[in-house]
Amino acid sequence: MTLQPDPDLEPLAHAPAPEVPPRPGPSAGTGAYLPSDLDPTVFDEGFLRQLQRLGVLMKQPVRGGLKGGRRSVKRGQSVEFADYRDYALGDDLRQLDWNVFARLEKLFVKLFVEEEDVTITFLLDASPSMAFGRPEKLLFAKRAAAALGYIALAGEDRVVVTALTGRSARRQGGLRGSGRVFRLLGNLSSIRPAEGPTDLVASVRHAAAMLSGRGVIVLLSDLLDPGADRVIRELAATGSELIILHVLSPEELDPQLEGDLRLVDAETGEGVDVTVDLAAIDAYKARLAAWQEGFADLAAKRRASYVPVPSDLPLADLVFAELRRRRVVG
Amino acid sequence: MPFVAPLALAGLLFVPVVLAMYLLKLRRDQAVVPSTLLWQRLVADVEANAPWQRLRRSLLLLLQLLLVIVLALLAARPFTERPAGLAGDIVVVIDTSASMQATDVTPDRLGAAKAAVLEALKDLPSGGRVSVIAAGRTAKVVANGTDDLGLVKQAIASITATSDAGSIGDALRLASALAARSADAEILVATDAAVATLPTGTLEAPVRVLRVGRDGGNLAIVALAVRSASSGLSHSAFISVANLGLSMATRRVELYADGVLREARTLTLDPQRRTDVSIDDVDDPLHPASVVEVRLTASEPDPAATDGSAAAPDYLAVDDHAWAVVPPAALRRVLLVGAGDPYLETALTYLPDTELYGIKPADYGPATHPEKFDLIIFEGWLPAALPAQPILAIAPPATSPLGTVTGTLTNPGIGRLDQSDPLLRYVDLSTVHIGEAQKIDLPAWARNVIPGPGGAPLLYAGQIAGRPVAVLTFLPRKSDLPLQVAFPVLLANLAGELLGGSATPADAVAPGTPVTLAIPAGALGVRVERPDGSADELLAPVAGAASVTFARTDLLGIYRVSPIADPSASPSPSGSAGATASAAPTPTPAGAAGPSSSAPAPTFRPADPSAPTLFAVDLLDVDESNIAPGDPAKLTRLGKPAASANPSAGTGSGGTTGTNAAKEPAARDELWIPIVLIALLVLTAEWLVYERDTVSRLRRHLVARIRGGGPA
Repeated sequence: MTLQPDPDLEPLAHAPAPEVPPRPGPSAGTGAYLPSDLDPTVFDEGFLRQLQRLGVLMKQPVRGGLKGGRRSVKRGQSVEFADYRDYALGDDLRQLDWNVFARLEKLFVKLFVEEEDVTITFLLDASPSMAFGRPEKLLFAKRAAAALGYIALAGEDRVVVTALTGRSARRQGGLRGSGRVFRLLGNLSSIRPAEGPTDLVASVRHAAAMLSGRGVIVLLSDLLDPGADRVIRELAATGSELIILHVLSPEELDPQLEGDLRLVDAETGEGVDVTVDLAAIDAYKARLAAWQEGFADLAAKRRASYVPVPSDLPLADLVFAELRRRRVVG
Repeated sequence: MPFVAPLALAGLLFVPVVLAMYLLKLRRDQAVVPSTLLWQRLVADVEANAPWQRLRRSLLLLLQLLLVIVLALLAARPFTERPAGLAGDIVVVIDTSASMQATDVTPDRLGAAKAAVLEALKDLPSGGRVSVIAAGRTAKVVANGTDDLGLVKQAIASITATSDAGSIGDALRLASALAARSADAEILVATDAAVATLPTGTLEAPVRVLRVGRDGGNLAIVALAVRSASSGLSHSAFISVANLGLSMATRRVELYADGVLREARTLTLDPQRRTDVSIDDVDDPLHPASVVEVRLTASEPDPAATDGSAAAPDYLAVDDHAWAVVPPAALRRVLLVGAGDPYLETALTYLPDTELYGIKPADYGPATHPEKFDLIIFEGWLPAALPAQPILAIAPPATSPLGTVTGTLTNPGIGRLDQSDPLLRYVDLSTVHIGEAQKIDLPAWARNVIPGPGGAPLLYAGQIAGRPVAVLTFLPRKSDLPLQVAFPVLLANLAGELLGGSATPADAVAPGTPVTLAIPAGALGVRVERPDGSADELLAPVAGAASVTFARTDLLGIYRVSPIADPSASPSPSGSAGATASAAPTPTPAGAAGPSSSAPAPTFRPADPSAPTLFAVDLLDVDESNIAPGDPAKLTRLGKPAASANPSAGTGSGGTTGTNAAKEPAARDELWIPIVLIALLVLTAEWLVYERDTVSRLRRHLVARIRGGGPA
């Protein structure tokens, strides 16, 4: 069933995100409300079911906060055996391994893996440059964040959405549980491109300062900032697992420019005189490839995942092909 | 290097203009992009806000500068000089006669002649003037003393071959007159020199002949006549075919009557011989044909024939067709009403295709049925009521609608004659003496054919209400006219005009020959439809004119002449009177006029005056069909010797001084062809450089398709 927007409700682009709407969730199999600028057709019931089967993969366990569905470095209550330790007074006798006692005549307590939640933070670059492209890069980034966020909520992880605008970051409250998916979508939908230049480094630092513990950071940006390298380094240094979705529009990947032009930067307003011919386009593409390769190398060194994606890539292809291939989800 | 237009080198001033274009900073279109981050290092442009930029090395700039230089050179028209081979004033005569249509050279002789003339004119000295004459049946100047070779080429290109025999003599005399304007003149004749009759006399300039043609193989129809067969019911055709080549030929002669093939015969034609063919019954007696066409075509190949006669060349096609108009089969009836003049009766019996009837004036009346005659001749008598038929009145005794008799003329002399009048064709009246004639005032409707003393007419003709009428004011027996040859000829002309039989020429007309066409009674003029379907309308120059002259007979084939009806014309009131008569005329034995009680033949059918009449235009000229190239020396000898006529352009012999040698005219060869080629090359290179992106994309696309084996 396709989820249809409710005409009675105002889109969240112009109003605070509502609490959980008094409607059944998508898993209930009935209609659900979605913010207007996130194409509801890509979040139909089948797509959501497919997303529910996925989870955000982590390279190593991290310490979480609340009980969750993800392995923690801590020992706790779960069905997954982790280790033995000697019995000490006060231990729960139900945890003794009586089979070992029968064989060795020593008391050992079985330890189990603790399962906790993980905070997945989506850093959305909302700089003016993200408003370009057909389709718009920011819209693509919001859709990708919505899909990954739904996967995380379905996996009992905590989801935080942070918009990077100007020199600061605007963090929205953490969400947990698949019932908060509409709130997540509302939060994403409320993000609008900033006006004026954006200092990506400063805004990322601001966002990093608001992180609580280690988790997963998903950076969705076009990285069109001179300090993009430092952004990756500093995010990787937070100890969280870093996933970089490098979003570029088709016009940036293959510019359809020709002639003697003055190129004006959408953020800074600065102009550059250039004669665009085939040789210039070739040089641009070579420079673009080297630029992306530099990010890929840097991410590999920092144990981050770097995923370059064009903004016209279908969302299903991104989630079920590109991100699975790169073992970001699975 | 000399230039024709050195001022055009001022075009080199565009070189700094082109440089300035490169020095001036470009006005660029703005394009907003997400970020200029990736474009920064690609920019190697100039400082902002500077109106000028440093000139950088650019292949495009070099090519454009080169193009400006080449175009300036082209406009300045550089040339090289060499000694001229022609005089300064050239009169070109191009033969356009029918033989120039021969295809023994490619494309034909006229085309080869034009090419030869253009090639020869390359030796024209600078500033030389050229006149061009097209030598058809009449010589026509198509370019007169111009130094613009472009105009000369246009004029030469406009010349087309004619189907007539041509008159190279007239053209040469005209060329001589044109050449006489200059002391340094030469006549250039482009012809096949197949001239039967050479002009006499000496021309005013040297003659140089550019002879074209190499073979004389031709088969031609040189004679065609259609006459009534001996049975009188149908017609026979007489055809003469000439083999003017040097080898035996086999051809098929096809005869068409009104477009229907009636006869086809295969002829074996001896070289340089004529073969005559007679074909009877070319039409059906019940459905007589009006036009006979004869075609000479290739015969069916005979496998047994080994002499190659079927393949004998026939390079001239224009003489392989001939047309003839079938003469009308119906006899015309002529009624002579008079006392009886043996001279007159004898002369009338010689009229072709006529039956003569005689009757006394006392017997004339409605019972005579004058409406059944085509012409009524009243000799010395007129009825009270004139019939509606054409009338020839001889010495009318009293005033009548035909004229007012005011007295008699004794021994009247003959005034100045208009020899172009069709009634006076072949008529010599210089020795005619007239004893007595009626003095009649010339009516307004008539033209004075033979004026007498004081303008009093001796013979006048015209139309009354559309009815042809002629009045001879004297009795032939009262003059010595019957004793002269002019008498039957004059009567034949009168009968021809009054009967309408001479409305068109009876025999085939040579192409280009003007034709006198009689205007039928009651018509404003005639309309002539040419063989190609075009039509000319010829109106009578003055009211009542009996004939017009038609000169556009340049096409071979059948011409149809139809009258242009006069909407204001009304039938003659006297016509009904004759129609009520019931008496029949009597056939009169030749030479004897007298009353008879027998009825006329019931097959009599009056001719339709509005029906079109036909005449044919045929080449039928064995001299023109003989296309064997002639001796050019015969034409060359007509001109003055070159040395005496053209001292400045001579060969340097005799008393040529050093000064004269220095002034020897030179021909110019302009170098525009290589310069244009260079300009095109530079232009192409400039375009390729300018569009190098498109070319590169195209190349990549092709490479991708080739490697991918399908669309990229």
